[in-house]
Amino acid sequence: MEFLDEIKAKFPNVLESVDGSNENESVLLLKDKTKIKRVCKEVKNHFDILFMLMAVDKPPKIFELNYVFSSYKTQNILTIRVNIERDKAVIDSISSLFESADWEERETYDLFGVEFIGHKNLKRILLPEDWPGRPLRKDFEVTDEVRNWTGLDLKF
Amino acid sequence: MRSGTGLGLISNFRFMEKERNRITINIGPVHPSTHGVLKFKVDISGDTMKKIEPEIGFVHRGVEKMAEMKYYSNFMPIADKLDYIAALNWEVLYASVVEKALKVVIPPRAVYLRTMMCELQRIMSHLLFIGHSGEDLGNTTLFMWGFRERELLMDIIEEVSGGRLAPMYISLGGMYYDLPPGLIPKLASTLDIIEKRVKNEYRALSYENGLFKMRTVGVGIIEANLAIKYGLTGPNARASGIKCDLRKNAPYLAYDKLDFDIITADAGDAYARFVVRVNEILESIKIVRQIIKDLPSGEIKVKVPWIFTIPPSYTFVRQETPRGEAAMYMVTDGGQKPYRLKIRAPSLYAVQAMSEIFVGGKVADIVAILGSLDPTPGEVDR
Repeated sequence: MEFLDEIKAKFPNVLESVDGSNENESVLLLKDKTKIKRVCKEVKNHFDILFMLMAVDKPPKIFELNYVFSSYKTQNILTIRVNIERDKAVIDSISSLFESADWEERETYDLFGVEFIGHKNLKRILLPEDWPGRPLRKDFEVTDEVRNWTGLDLKF
Repeated sequence: MRSGTGLGLISNFRFMEKERNRITINIGPVHPSTHGVLKFKVDISGDTMKKIEPEIGFVHRGVEKMAEMKYYSNFMPIADKLDYIAALNWEVLYASVVEKALKVVIPPRAVYLRTMMCELQRIMSHLLFIGHSGEDLGNTTLFMWGFRERELLMDIIEEVSGGRLAPMYISLGGMYYDLPPGLIPKLASTLDIIEKRVKNEYRALSYENGLFKMRTVGVGIIEANLAIKYGLTGPNARASGIKCDLRKNAPYLAYDKLDFDIITADAGDAYARFVVRVNEILESIKIVRQIIKDLPSGEIKVKVPWIFTIPPSYTFVRQETPRGEAAMYMVTDGGQKPYRLKIRAPSLYAVQAMSEIFVGGKVADIVAILGSLDPTPGEVDR
């Protein structure tokens, strides 16, 4: 995989391959979350779009973000995996590099509460503005506040 | 006469003042031509759209959370309600993810049956699209015709699986039932009918009809780089000249053994998207005919228990649904339920791209462009 070596060569100490990835679905683990934007800039030379962004809640400490990139010309898939602290869930937004990341980041913010710095319109997307809690977190509980939510207080 | 002219000037002036402070109008969420529940906040000046903000989430059901709360097998009925127009495609996708994680290989007959069901569902989805396009443009005859042909295939699906909109035909490890006796000849004659009607009757009413062309040619143009920027896939991207089709480029199921072409068009307007879908129906009919010809015999499923565990793993599968590249990314932790299941819905990216596609268009074309992108709020909102 030429692109893989090229990307890794640019960031020798912060990127490492993860075992179990097969031929055209490679996974790279990014150890330093502050480098995400620079790594994505390099990824942009080889891939066209952010295919999807999956956050995984791993309590008690970690949110794992999986950035999946795909290309129209080749059929390669690249996953950049980065761990961020759960109680300080903040990372740079890549929506200025990949337009398709805009709504994916909003969705991750909506359902997990991960904040993306530099996103121009970071607000909830699937749930209403006043919804209590972040439902895809593992510690989300259906409290009375959720149960009695009516949506009637929303302003249009 | 003179005072009349004066009044005209004043009203013109007022109009210009309004242009300076644009008017915001809301379209949806409950509107017959938003194909479900979508809302648009549109800033208009005159009748030109200046800024558009799609709002989604009106049918959010928390499917990804539900997946974490159910056994692997029990999620299937929810997977097929993600996109209620192409349910079988999503069933196949979910089954493929779990089978890949379980390392189960399904028998050849099941592979071919799944391919056949995917293509039948694609034809049905595109027929519904044709019908809706007709309705959106005020052509109710086309609407009725689209549904008439879709109904023929609905009957086939009902005979095979017992369900119509949400068939629940795919099980983990294969299919629930084999084809009933006498279905193949019926299917073959149905395909002949559909092919004949799409080629002849539809032509007069839609893609070679002057009025239809006036409403769609040059409307809602998506250029190739815009499609790539927003991650559009499927017929929407192919109508902009991008040759991407996972069935051909990264074959799954039995697609590598079948002969078919990737349909593309260059214009990227609403008309091109319509024509691409019409031609895809014909292409899918070609595929189903080949499957009928070399459908292997034998088992239709391997035994997979209802409740099982999958060791910790990451599994990623993507397939071509009628709306584009859909994918599921499943994380397992060794338990009886998925730890996390992320769903990529192709329609979400089409709706996201609308904020740029609509700019500069006329208000009257909103419905035509929206219809030509063919989004399903069910999979947008999940």
